[in-house]
Amino acid sequence: MLGLLKGERLHGYEVKNRFEAMLGGTWDVNIGQIYTTLQRLERDGLVRPVGARGDRGKLLYELSPDGHKALDEWLAQPDFGPQQLHQDIYVKLLLATRIANGDLKGMLARQKRAYLQRLRDLNRLEETARRDGRIDLARLVRGALLHTEADLKWMDELSSERFGTEGAKTV
Amino acid sequence: MDGRIIFRTFRDGGGEDGMSELVRLTDVTKVYQGGITGALNDVSVAVEKGEFTAIMGPSGSGKSTMLNLVAGVDRPTSGTVVVGGTDLGKLGETGLARFRRDHIGFVFQFFYLLPNLTALENVLIPAQLKGNPAPGRARELLEQLGIADIANRYPARLSGGQQQRVAIARALINKPTLLLADEPTGALDTRSGAQVMELLGGLHRDGQTILLVTHDAKLATRHATRVISVMDGQIVDDARLDGPERTAADVIRVRGEEASR
Repeated sequence: MLGLLKGERLHGYEVKNRFEAMLGGTWDVNIGQIYTTLQRLERDGLVRPVGARGDRGKLLYELSPDGHKALDEWLAQPDFGPQQLHQDIYVKLLLATRIANGDLKGMLARQKRAYLQRLRDLNRLEETARRDGRIDLARLVRGALLHTEADLKWMDELSSERFGTEGAKTV
Repeated sequence: MDGRIIFRTFRDGGGEDGMSELVRLTDVTKVYQGGITGALNDVSVAVEKGEFTAIMGPSGSGKSTMLNLVAGVDRPTSGTVVVGGTDLGKLGETGLARFRRDHIGFVFQFFYLLPNLTALENVLIPAQLKGNPAPGRARELLEQLGIADIANRYPARLSGGQQQRVAIARALINKPTLLLADEPTGALDTRSGAQVMELLGGLHRDGQTILLVTHDAKLATRHATRVISVMDGQIVDDARLDGPERTAADVIRVRGEEASR
């Protein structure tokens, strides 16, 4: 949000529109979240309102000097966060090695197929993004493609393993 | 004795629903003496005309063996390989050679161009072997593949990507029923590889049936409509990839905590 406000003053709903356009629909936000975040940033002294409320109570925001600094620091910082494994397959795999008749092979095959389909969808998306001149979005999709490729390799690796229940014994 | 009559079914083609079967492997087993990898164990699969099928699997899984059996460059230990209605097992060596020449275009990882012939001359070899020199078609193909300007150069003076495009033109010169490609991007850099796959995708859109062996799932799913996964000599999955176009939101979700600042 700070990045969007760098260089131009925006209303809350403009922030929302620009944010969603930038992410190409891959991250929906509701306007309530935007206003809450703006209020929090204002409280922390990173953004400040410009002038008075306009018609229909709209308020323009701009970056404060502290906001510029915070943005630069955030951009310069590598992403050290923990690896996010949000997908169910990670948990299902843990369960499948514990539960009898887990049909692990079948699960892996179906998951692999889903990843293949996703690769295809991502390829389509990348093409569309490039065609529309959205190179930034194409780069994001490329990242997703490479991640999915890794997931697919993981499925292949698991499929070629001999499965026992050793993994479950430690718990 | 085998040629004309046996191959008649190729031209009849057609079939109902615009789909017709072009390749069928039935209970195919291939055993290599000395236990070399790449064996096949009781594989059955069919490929429709007009399909762009990718065969994927680890090294030694038998995927290249499948391609070689379909191409008629190798024979199964047991089982039948039927291509375009022709049972390849019933052909002698001469018949197989004719089959390959008339109906199969093969593209390899390392191009295999003849170094003492120009690009154009390389493309023309299969046509000359068929007794049907077609310089016009050769030039057309080079044009179509975007390499008309290098027609008179020798392979040593061509980049990998250009050499592979020459090899594709050579594979297409006799208008093959089936185009086979074994790791065609394996020796190319990412960009040239993507271009070569783009070309194959274009050929498929023009109706060419293609059977591709590859390691690269990203490239395979970009153009192929079907992915067959082979492991330890057996088909472990066979997926047709299609369905409606999905929006960005259907495929990707971006989340970030700090990013919301």
